[in-house]
Amino acid sequence: MANRILYIVFIFGLLTTTSLKAQEKLPKKWTAEKIKGTRQIPYASYSGSPFLNDKFATGEIEFQDGSTIDSLGLRYSSYRDEVIYYNTAISAQIVIDKISLKGFSFIDGNGVKRVFRQQYYDGFMPGNRYFEVLSDGDIALLVYRKVVLQVCPPYNDNSGVLKNMSYQDAYNYYLYNRKKGYDLIRINKNSLLSKIDKLTQKSVKKLLRKNKIEVNDELNFVKAWNLLKENGIIINF
Amino acid sequence: MKRKLVLLLLLFAVFSVNAQEKESLNLFTDRDLYVSGETLLLKVFAAASEQSGIVNVDLINRKGTKITGAILEISNHQADGFVYLPDSLSSGFYLLRTSTRTDNALTSKELYIANRFTGLPASNSDMQSAGVIPLKETFAQNLEITGVEKQYKLRENGHALLQLTNELIYQVDGDVSVSIAGTTQDFTTTQFLQKSEPGAAQSNVREGINIEGIVTDLKTGKPFKNAIVYLSIPDSIPGFQYFITPEDGLFNFQIGKYFGKIPVVIQCFAKDKSSSLKITLSDHNNFKNEMPDFERRIFTPEFVKYIEKATSAITFRKIFNQQEITIQPAPVVKRDAYPYYGIPTKTIDPQLFIDLPNFNEISKELLPGVKFRNYNRNPTLQVLNTAQQFYFNEQPLLLLDGIPIRDLNVIKDMGTKDIDKIEICQNERFYGDLIFPGVVAIYTSKADYTRVPESNDLIKLNLEVIQPRATLNTPSEQKLSDPDLRQVLLWKPSLKPAPKMELDFRTSDIKGRFKLIVHGKTRDGSTFYKEQIFEVN
Repeated sequence: MANRILYIVFIFGLLTTTSLKAQEKLPKKWTAEKIKGTRQIPYASYSGSPFLNDKFATGEIEFQDGSTIDSLGLRYSSYRDEVIYYNTAISAQIVIDKISLKGFSFIDGNGVKRVFRQQYYDGFMPGNRYFEVLSDGDIALLVYRKVVLQVCPPYNDNSGVLKNMSYQDAYNYYLYNRKKGYDLIRINKNSLLSKIDKLTQKSVKKLLRKNKIEVNDELNFVKAWNLLKENGIIINF
Repeated sequence: MKRKLVLLLLLFAVFSVNAQEKESLNLFTDRDLYVSGETLLLKVFAAASEQSGIVNVDLINRKGTKITGAILEISNHQADGFVYLPDSLSSGFYLLRTSTRTDNALTSKELYIANRFTGLPASNSDMQSAGVIPLKETFAQNLEITGVEKQYKLRENGHALLQLTNELIYQVDGDVSVSIAGTTQDFTTTQFLQKSEPGAAQSNVREGINIEGIVTDLKTGKPFKNAIVYLSIPDSIPGFQYFITPEDGLFNFQIGKYFGKIPVVIQCFAKDKSSSLKITLSDHNNFKNEMPDFERRIFTPEFVKYIEKATSAITFRKIFNQQEITIQPAPVVKRDAYPYYGIPTKTIDPQLFIDLPNFNEISKELLPGVKFRNYNRNPTLQVLNTAQQFYFNEQPLLLLDGIPIRDLNVIKDMGTKDIDKIEICQNERFYGDLIFPGVVAIYTSKADYTRVPESNDLIKLNLEVIQPRATLNTPSEQKLSDPDLRQVLLWKPSLKPAPKMELDFRTSDIKGRFKLIVHGKTRDGSTFYKEQIFEVN
């Protein structure tokens, strides 16, 4: 019995050595494309936040050629619509060139993966924008997480300086189809129902009720949207 | 008994894993006999596990010295290409050697090349390798060649039908290669394996062509740590990579998908400007393998006759300027949409303005936010940071045709006529871990990089990269007046295996023995062949 165990241990040892030897020959991960960008200039300090995530979150960027770099400290500036990464080697906050990216993703403070895609927006103020993908598919549900600097009632900041500007959310939600483009949508039940054929609206209401979804915020809107997709309900777009 | 059986089975498993690792490259050429000035066509089958994506093919002489070669891209576990045989080759046996960076086993094939001016040696014999163990190739039972006549006339159309069984089609890995070329009855050469010494094949494998080297301190000759090595590929949108050397001073770059010949500039510098560095590139072909033994071989009359005919054929082809192959345009590779130094803030074409004699004048008159001064023969260059409205203290990244230069004396005499355009980035740019305090990119009118001087720390290369695909030239039937002196009647290195494969060919003005041969590789790593011989009278 002892001999048999010894034999088996010997053979497994041999197998392990062989496979380790094979692994040594595998190529190391190589990212030919380096991150290109400019130094991030600090924004003016007002109440509210110009960033979607104030702290750097671990994320991944995808370049236009499809190559990716992961485990980066990322932060999305909603105010400037730019993605900033922290380069630990040179201790610098760098705004990654938007033109070089296809998209990026990061895990937010709640452990939720946020996926952003760079797309051309052809509506008012056309240009390339980062849209957060709330639900993907033939018709995608996207959000442009815009933050604007607006005049507000005067207040004293932490240093006691009187100010009357603040960063405020001005999110825009869109339905997007590659051929048909963008369609602005509001985050409420009526807006959702307006995208569904009148004959099926009743059954949709019933479905939402049955699943206890009240479409009154972004989270529930996404839930409702995914429910419609799961049930094969046709969206008028 | 049971125990022994289990042990045997396990040992068998271990050895089969080892056997799989040893799967080698297979090399086939259109012929075994050549005359200098001809083009050698070749096909390589690679192992499915091959990861470098590149195979190097080198023509080496009996002493192991590389004469010429090609770098081929492996696609679908195979590659095909060509090698021009220089007219300067002396008559003798040569080895065509294939190698990849992932394996230290080299597959070599022996060839005889006769010099077309001097002919065969007076002794009517030469030294041929001996004692090598040829790589096994099985005769394909499941492949039929039909429709080939035993004899053809000169310039006669021929037809062949290859019939593959479904079993073989399923087994074939990739494509099959078919060629029809002149041959002799009593002369064939083999392909065999050679081992190179450990260290020749690199373990740090990266897909594509690699450039490696070492940075040393010029004074001490020791490897230099933390040297910054730049690799630039001058182009309209220049290519750029950098490497910071570790303790051993070694650096390694991967050249992406470039085809043909490209200019490459490699330079290094230390963070403290006092150190003088030297850059030395490694020769990836520096395989330390032993050459096989050689023994004298006496040529047969048929061999001599073949060489004589082939010599006059290639000489006539040279006179009539008949190219054996046509090189296909290199595939379009999507590169970066903008330069690595970023989208320029400003682009200036000095030739649209009044002639200015030097760069000092150009910067003053045409480049807002660029300060070039030449006080006491010590030029300085600064760029305005527009975001923060101050001039960077450090010298910006200065590029000449995409090549970073640090010596401002190179540009100080450049006037309007020398410059095609100037691009400026007026912000702090980052590329990986590199920081550029602004960028001034000058593109010269000549774009010949002659202004960039070679030195110990700067090497200019005209690098042979991936060979573009080539097709065999077949003269049109209308051109009856031109001599047709093709030794190779058909060369189809990548044919998709199908139950019935039709092949059309046309004989040339060359009389003699021709061989139609099909080569392929199966999924288990073994190669197969089938051949048919016919005469042209």
